[in-house]
Amino acid sequence: MEEANLTDDEVVISVLNGRRQDFEILVRRYSTKIIHFVTRMTGDADEGRSLAQDAFLKIYQNLPYYRRENNFSAFIFKVARNLTLNWLKRQKRTVFFSRLLGNELNQPAFRQDAPRLSPHDQGERDSLVSLQLRLLPEEQRLALVLKVYLEFSYKQIADVTGWSVPKIETLISRARSRLKKSIRLQESGGEAVEQARNQ
Amino acid sequence: MNCQRITGMLSALQDGELSPSRRQEVESHLRDCAACRGERDGLLKLDRRLRLEPAPLADPFFSARVMARLRPGPVRQRRWLQAAAYALVFAAIFLGGFILQTTGSNGAPPATAISYSAVLQEPQGLGLMAIHDDSLGLFAGERP
Repeated sequence: MEEANLTDDEVVISVLNGRRQDFEILVRRYSTKIIHFVTRMTGDADEGRSLAQDAFLKIYQNLPYYRRENNFSAFIFKVARNLTLNWLKRQKRTVFFSRLLGNELNQPAFRQDAPRLSPHDQGERDSLVSLQLRLLPEEQRLALVLKVYLEFSYKQIADVTGWSVPKIETLISRARSRLKKSIRLQESGGEAVEQARNQ
Repeated sequence: MNCQRITGMLSALQDGELSPSRRQEVESHLRDCAACRGERDGLLKLDRRLRLEPAPLADPFFSARVMARLRPGPVRQRRWLQAAAYALVFAAIFLGGFILQTTGSNGAPPATAISYSAVLQEPQGLGLMAIHDDSLGLFAGERP
């Protein structure tokens, strides 16, 4: 049977029956989405790729625990979500202790001083959007990233996170509203800086 | 229906996640309320901007890298294996302790105990004292 015709569950059975090389089919199928998800969550493309690799290794190790009646996409995103949230926790601890020791880290993912940019600079404006996304609370960011970038339905997000659909609705609504406000604030600040420079 | 309640539903409207009755409610409110329409347009604009963000570049060697890092051999339920290994180690420690205790109480001390007591008795003999006298002689300029 051709690779494209195989369902995820059929590939999983094949891997569990000893055809280890078939796991590559699943990696090829989901790598772009997993890398995209992790990169949006961490705000770091290199870290995204590295964590995505770890996620696939974890998925491979946990294949025997995958229940075939569930959907495989939710299973792998759960693994990726757990790895990413653990990574974010570790980063927060590092930043906390670093600040405690008076040694401020200058990592873009955790820098609280969002740059005030001119709204005329499109490239910079795009990075402003992703910076503000990274400053959202983790739960809001997770729900919004799955919705906007992965185009998951609320039900699919519920399968990955274990949250109720009303909670997801609230989180996404708050995330959008917060993001809209913070971008507006940054841009109006940027305009003020621009005007001051021109005077 | 108040605007605050409507704006809370605009995000779900945009995602196509409202029930038909709620959607109808919100859409009829939007027809009459310019402020809420402005809110909805703002959300649409935000989503467009979010989607304009470039996706991470594809890595053509990604799957090869993952496959190279996989352990050789079939996937197994390794948790049972780990649990069995831990149980074996604990059983070995327990058995070892038990055997040592029982052989230790049966009259003859083990060989290590004998050699240890011999060392303890040594300072009373000539060995260490003789070394001590020789060293004193060396310090005094005498040749051995």
